[in-house]
Amino acid sequence: MTTELLSYSIIPLLSALAIPFLGRTNRKISEIIANVTLLAGLANLAYIIFHPMNRNSDYAVFSFDGLTITMLFTIYMVALCCVFFASASHMVKAEKNAFYPLIMISVSAMSSMVLARDYFTLYIFMEALAVTSFSLIAGEEGKGGIEGAIKYILLTFPASALILIGIAIMLMSGGTINFDMINSSPSTGNLAALAFITLGFAIKAGLFPFHFWTPDAYQGAPSAVSAYLAGVVTKISGIYALVKICMTIRLFGEPAKPVAFALLLAGVLTLIFGAIAALMQKDMKRMLAFSSISQMGYIAAGAATLTPVGIIGAILHIFNHATFKTSLFLNSAAIEKSAGTTDMRKMGGLEKNMPYTSWTSIIALFSTAGVPPLSGFWSKLLIIVALWVSGFKLAAVLALVFSILTLAYFMMMQKKVFFGKPREELKDVREASAYMLAPAFLMSLIIVLSGIFFPYVFEFLGKTL
Amino acid sequence: MTSTFSMDWLFAALIFFIGAYCMAVSRNLIKQLIGLEIISKAALIALISAGAFSGNTNLAQALIITVILVEAVIVATGLALLVKNYRLNGSIDIKKLDNLRG
Repeated sequence: MTTELLSYSIIPLLSALAIPFLGRTNRKISEIIANVTLLAGLANLAYIIFHPMNRNSDYAVFSFDGLTITMLFTIYMVALCCVFFASASHMVKAEKNAFYPLIMISVSAMSSMVLARDYFTLYIFMEALAVTSFSLIAGEEGKGGIEGAIKYILLTFPASALILIGIAIMLMSGGTINFDMINSSPSTGNLAALAFITLGFAIKAGLFPFHFWTPDAYQGAPSAVSAYLAGVVTKISGIYALVKICMTIRLFGEPAKPVAFALLLAGVLTLIFGAIAALMQKDMKRMLAFSSISQMGYIAAGAATLTPVGIIGAILHIFNHATFKTSLFLNSAAIEKSAGTTDMRKMGGLEKNMPYTSWTSIIALFSTAGVPPLSGFWSKLLIIVALWVSGFKLAAVLALVFSILTLAYFMMMQKKVFFGKPREELKDVREASAYMLAPAFLMSLIIVLSGIFFPYVFEFLGKTL
Repeated sequence: MTSTFSMDWLFAALIFFIGAYCMAVSRNLIKQLIGLEIISKAALIALISAGAFSGNTNLAQALIITVILVEAVIVATGLALLVKNYRLNGSIDIKKLDNLRG
């Protein structure tokens, strides 16, 4: 692991240990500790990223790459938004003191995954992250949560056996599992090992033939948790590792092409399947889950082109996906709290009662669909250009067409939920409180700003990658 | 001492498929969890065999002890989930888990 940034994984762990003791009598204290820890981490990361001294020296002080720091920033941002939303909406009951420590442990596990510099460390923290995710999903009172958690454990645990077998083959062929050593020894054995590991992480990421657990886990989880899961947890535990592997097999040259092509095929099928399935959903959270699956397809296809443009596009799309999907899931959580349902057939005309929620979700859905000034447009553009340039013209056309379909199903959602005539039974629905709206506003601000100032973002990633 | 390398991997593959078969045909959630454990044991056999083959037994041992620790945590969590499921639904049949529909 890189040691310079180790505090980002240790401090949340200490905070997770402190919360059950200090917050035993008062729920407010545990909320404050959780929020302050994450806010301090985010401010610290922002200081590293934007400080002129670090920028002028091309971040030579730190031995990390742009991927690590971008992912750390994403983790802390989404975790802060979800924790703030949970404490503002009084979602966590006083006797359920496990929510904040679990979130803190999973932030720590994700940071460690991002900081890992060998495959075994990556595997260990992926498992730690999975355990906290099962517990968070099962925190829902009703039957949905436990069902989502059991499907998650049964359908994703075989993936870890595949990853372990990959590590075994790696140990056998070169005797090392370090990222840098694997990068510099492109042998057939290492490629076979990476193919196994790719398969394992494709299951964890919910790519096409292995997507069954994703919608159930997201729909069953409590609202703030599903925003957290969809925004960052399953992205770090699956798709981040796939991007990392693509960055490695890029150096293997011609023999790596079949592995990359298999990943590209899975990615394109995922984006097609996710978009078509999202069109047919009636529950808002389930529709957002299928939309999330579809976006995973874009990221996998972009990374599998093995070109620098495709990989930068994939990393940017992970970041953008975290912003807009967190915003949309938090909006669905606010609607669930106000209107009491996430079934889109029972909603309509909420625009008048919840204007701010409506506006933030319009910004987020335009960014998902790739409407020009917003950030989602740029990352999708990079992915589609990378697909076209590296010769997968059909895949590029399909990605473009299904990007339009994304806009279609989101406009259907917006029409069913917010537009149209207000329903009788939803007359006295109130807008969510200002604290509950704040995370979605922050995300919308980031979407708009990183869209407008995109050249700077691209330069930052291009310089450090 | 003769090398048992090929036999190790044969048995690893066999045990993997026994576990997968157990998961595929069983409707009982506890049997499914046992199937998962059998699959991960196959991975452990592969790991220790790879360590012995490459003369790197110490590293393989360290990895395996860590993996056993992780598995204990996962199985404990999984069994806790099954207990909660039994309390809520009164059944350990996987076919009864169909509340979430689109």
